[in-house]
Amino acid sequence: MNDFFHRVRERYRYPAIILRAMVVSDLKLRYQASFLGYLWTLLRPLAEFAILYVVFTKFIRLVGGPDWAICLLLGTVIWGFFGELTVQGLTSIVARGPLLCKVNFPRYVVVLSVTVSVVISFILNLVVIAIFMLASRVFVGVEALWFLLLILELVTLTVAVSLFLGALYVRLRDIDYIWQVLTRAAFFATPIIYSLSLVPEKWARILVLNPVAQIIQDARHVLVSDQYVTISGLWGTEWIRAVPIGITLVLAVTSVIFFRRRSRSFAEEA
Amino acid sequence: MMGGPAIVVSDVSKDFLLPHLRRTTLKSRFVSLFRAPQTLEVQHVLHEVSFQVEKGEFFGIVGRNGSGKSTLMKIMASIYAPSSGGVSVFGRLVPFIELGVGFHPELSGRENVYLNGALFGFSVKEIDAMYDDIVSFAELEDSMDQLFKYYSSGMQVRIAFSLATRAQADILLIDEVLAVGDAAFKSKCRDYFHELKRRGTTIVFVTHDMASVREFCDRVILLEGGRITAEGGAAEVAQKYLETVIPAKRAAQAQAKGS
Repeated sequence: MNDFFHRVRERYRYPAIILRAMVVSDLKLRYQASFLGYLWTLLRPLAEFAILYVVFTKFIRLVGGPDWAICLLLGTVIWGFFGELTVQGLTSIVARGPLLCKVNFPRYVVVLSVTVSVVISFILNLVVIAIFMLASRVFVGVEALWFLLLILELVTLTVAVSLFLGALYVRLRDIDYIWQVLTRAAFFATPIIYSLSLVPEKWARILVLNPVAQIIQDARHVLVSDQYVTISGLWGTEWIRAVPIGITLVLAVTSVIFFRRRSRSFAEEA
Repeated sequence: MMGGPAIVVSDVSKDFLLPHLRRTTLKSRFVSLFRAPQTLEVQHVLHEVSFQVEKGEFFGIVGRNGSGKSTLMKIMASIYAPSSGGVSVFGRLVPFIELGVGFHPELSGRENVYLNGALFGFSVKEIDAMYDDIVSFAELEDSMDQLFKYYSSGMQVRIAFSLATRAQADILLIDEVLAVGDAAFKSKCRDYFHELKRRGTTIVFVTHDMASVREFCDRVILLEGGRITAEGGAAEVAQKYLETVIPAKRAAQAQAKGS
């Protein structure tokens, strides 16, 4: 057993060292010349939230349910994580091209390093949400623990998509533009600025099969109010969860296989 | 340390698809659906190259530009995958394809030391321990907190080299390192190579400089058009290399005169 741990440590020592160095230098570089620095990680989603809040609670009164402001924030933060990581993951391999053709290290480290820095901002954003929840006296019970599983699902899905896009972008540069259009469409097909209860049920049942939609509605359900409808509520069975979770797992497996196969030639093509 | 091979290269070939012919956009893929399939132009960079580097050997690879030296190095470092054939490496191999890999102009000298050190496999703790030595060897004690873009190229090379000498390796792949830097730097490089030789580190050395081939190499191969055309002692292969270059030079001179 000790031997096993020793082997695992030996094998992942080098990737771990590189991962750490990349994350640290990325964080240093990101806000280096800015006056407020890391504060931007908090300020940006807050500003975005302020815009959405004004537009969707003052101008367009599209209230999706109780404590709608918090649900709005929850939706934008979850979607923000997915959007940010996939966009950065897409270009990450090509951006590291000059390094990849001089040093041999496991290529997945590049995508992981992007993941870590986006996860850090995500956690900070969640802290902001927690503060808003306390301020508006939304208190959670033990069922909030489900949220941890939802995060796990979200991270798995997003990393899988990022690996896939990152590997694909090396060969097919159009994917950058295609992805911009797709995420724009997906933004409106996902209950971020609206709640699924506002969508005709036959459409809602289809939209919620998208893992991100399922995650957002579930998060609202467990963290804010059980009036927010979930995938199992829409379909009347818990088994339907197998669809978004299945999509996530299939994407994870195919992306890893695809990435591994393609990564051998990244050094030549990136 | 001695005895047995350090690197075995067997029947390695490498082909590249010429980049301008690769279909990288949807449009070109789409257009090519309606066209007779293009015969892709393939560049054969290496043809069934086989050789063996013994432990503790200082092994030279020479050849003109475009003869496949760097590709061969990258295959030995498993940065490129060979199209066919294989490479076995016995021991910890560190490639110096370039000095200062990963250096970022917007980071300070100190931060770059940690970043570049990580690529050599050093943890933060390990660099902490040798940081002062690295800096004093590079004679840059006063400028480590400056941004790297304000370093002169000489300073950049000094810190990169100072880091490189720290790499813990049984086998080093060195590509044309001596080509940069002034006389003082070259003499430091020379001392380092002698030190490596004494320690019994296996070294694969790519260069155009026949003087350093004669000074260091135990055995040399000559690459021409992706094939090994000579293999043997340093003096003998260096001579052959010069013979391949000089006729080409004369021909070029003749052409220049003619035009």
